[in-house]
Amino acid sequence: MTSEIKRHGQLRKAPENFLDPQLLREIQQQGLDDERRRFMRHSFLMASAASAAAAAPLSFADEAAGDPNILVLPSHSTTLGKPVTQAGYGQPSRYENTILKRASPGLTRTQESSVSFTPLQALFGIITPNGLHFERHHQGWHDIAPDTHRLMIHGLVKTPMIFTLDDLMRLPTVSRIHFLECGANTAMEWGQPVVPTVQYTHGMLSCCEFTGVPLSVLLDYCGYDRQQSRFVLAEGADGASLTRTIPIEHALEDVLVAWGMNGEMLRPENGYPLRLVVPGIQGVSWVKWLRRIEVGDQPWGSKDESIQYIDLMPDGSHRQYTSIQECKSVITSPSGGQQLLNKGMFNITGLAWSGRGKIKKVDVSVDGGRNWRSARLEGPIQNKALTRFNIDWVWDGSETILQSRAVDETGYVQPGIDQLRKVRGSRSTYHNNAIQSWQIMANGEVMNVQAY
Amino acid sequence: MFRLTKHRVKVRHPQRIKPFAWLARSGLLLSLSCAVMSQTLAGESGYPGVGRKATTKEIEAWDTDVRPDFKGLPKGSGTVIQGQQVWDAKCASCHGTFGELTQMSAPIIGGTTAEDVRLGRVAALSNPNTVLRSTIMKVPTLSTLWDYLYRAMPWNAPKSLSVDETYAVTAYILNLAEIVPEDFKLSDQNVKEIQERMPNRNGMTRDHGLSTIKGRPDVTHADCMKNCLDKAATVRASISEDALNSHGDLSLQNRSFGSVRGLPPSKK
Repeated sequence: MTSEIKRHGQLRKAPENFLDPQLLREIQQQGLDDERRRFMRHSFLMASAASAAAAAPLSFADEAAGDPNILVLPSHSTTLGKPVTQAGYGQPSRYENTILKRASPGLTRTQESSVSFTPLQALFGIITPNGLHFERHHQGWHDIAPDTHRLMIHGLVKTPMIFTLDDLMRLPTVSRIHFLECGANTAMEWGQPVVPTVQYTHGMLSCCEFTGVPLSVLLDYCGYDRQQSRFVLAEGADGASLTRTIPIEHALEDVLVAWGMNGEMLRPENGYPLRLVVPGIQGVSWVKWLRRIEVGDQPWGSKDESIQYIDLMPDGSHRQYTSIQECKSVITSPSGGQQLLNKGMFNITGLAWSGRGKIKKVDVSVDGGRNWRSARLEGPIQNKALTRFNIDWVWDGSETILQSRAVDETGYVQPGIDQLRKVRGSRSTYHNNAIQSWQIMANGEVMNVQAY
Repeated sequence: MFRLTKHRVKVRHPQRIKPFAWLARSGLLLSLSCAVMSQTLAGESGYPGVGRKATTKEIEAWDTDVRPDFKGLPKGSGTVIQGQQVWDAKCASCHGTFGELTQMSAPIIGGTTAEDVRLGRVAALSNPNTVLRSTIMKVPTLSTLWDYLYRAMPWNAPKSLSVDETYAVTAYILNLAEIVPEDFKLSDQNVKEIQERMPNRNGMTRDHGLSTIKGRPDVTHADCMKNCLDKAATVRASISEDALNSHGDLSLQNRSFGSVRGLPPSKK
């Protein structure tokens, strides 16, 4: 094949739209079994033959004329389109049906105390679409009727109070964009690389615009005790009634009692109708289905701060109340489990964030950490929010390693896995914010590696 | 043509209600006018009409948390034997007869010694070869066990244990972990004593910079830009072929267009 189009492609591109919509739906719902796999291969061959046949009239002499996708008008250009959307809630294109939140097989023993991961490899910008937001539940999720939901605030307050959604939505409201990262994000990678893609290495991460009322407004309103108050306890309304202790200075700084998420109400899996937003702090403190805030003078030592979400150190002690998500970044494309199309220009893109404030810069190395260039940061750069970075890269076809390294406004530099392990060992489970290495193989395959 | 009248909601004519008549008769009109005047001060004097005072019963219904100093622990008691009965009926199907590792659950019991009970530090945690960490190896505070059992267990019927059942199950767990004898009865009167026998009671540290925004980081790194290493970093560990194939067909977890594709399962 000598045509312009073929010469520029190392990979043969799959003919698009070769699957029957019914089959696509079945695959989405039931996954791929062997029979469907065989059927797909068959469809693929048929489609290849069909496109070859369609292109047949444009043989050697006509190839110079150009791309049949241009020269032969497609049906979408020559027929009447569909009417305004019939379903009231729009859905992604059918060609996007591979971009899903997914579980990591074997990670958890039950489906109710489990995790699904956000497909970071396929997302653009900084906002996580609500339908692709990762999930972490401790005892399953519920869809709570909002008119029955109540928020109680009590403890060291002048007036213990009850609020309905009707009440809360009358209060002074703010909307803010913040990242949300599980303290156990990248937990599987402390020892060695064990999961294939960025969805599973870093996918307990999201960034949304949250709308709600500052917790400080509610605490002021209830008359919290300014002398005695040291901590607040947040509690969920689900079976687990998960509780987390939050220092009062955090609670007063930028914590929100939120109902809105990217312009609509929270999804049930993410706490509908009310959740706590605790910017910069690990996800477990962002209590979902929030029903109670208690003000007190000591931490509570709950299950998720005494048995889980504690960081084991080499000397056998556990760090308790580790909460801050320190500065971290990852290249989302190209990333593990992918293959580059061919040599030449690529846009390396990724995400950076810090629980201690704004991202100052992100450096990218395309030579295994020898030399670094500062990437372009997409603005406006926001406090405790994801920041998107991009940088040009021309791949010469040789084996190499890609890395990104973020620096936040405090001057903290994202460490390497070797530096983290030197201090914390490899058994601490939580708060792995190491530089991620993606190895580019000579055939364009991208592998999850640890390199230093 | 749209027929709007079809959708119109019938309302009682407002004048039929005559709200001010009864207000004036009951002498409330004066206080209403005060409320109207205070609207302009909303920002300073709170948020009129928003929220209400919680009743004592409401707070009691939800405030079940128990702190490490046992503030919040209700009066009650339960024996190891009673606990075993509850355990066999409601807990063993997930947690096994002895709180061991099961298909449903991480181990609750195991990995602690009499010496750990004496010292309050679980020695096995400092052994790098210790892979499994049981609940009793980690938990420093007895209050945590009681609080969690009462709020979230059993798994499929949370909050269904009574106060005394919760004492009993806690006592049974303590007995399985060889912290208390078989004839033991746990109560609000002796919890502080038993706290002093928890095997990992001295195993926690808050001496780190990860709990506050201004905390000092424990790991530091420099942002070197040029010739930072003599040669490219060495690959110390690479994902295995099994691990690469462990999460399904990656070509179906990426788009079929763009600068990259997902890898199909390897041919092996």
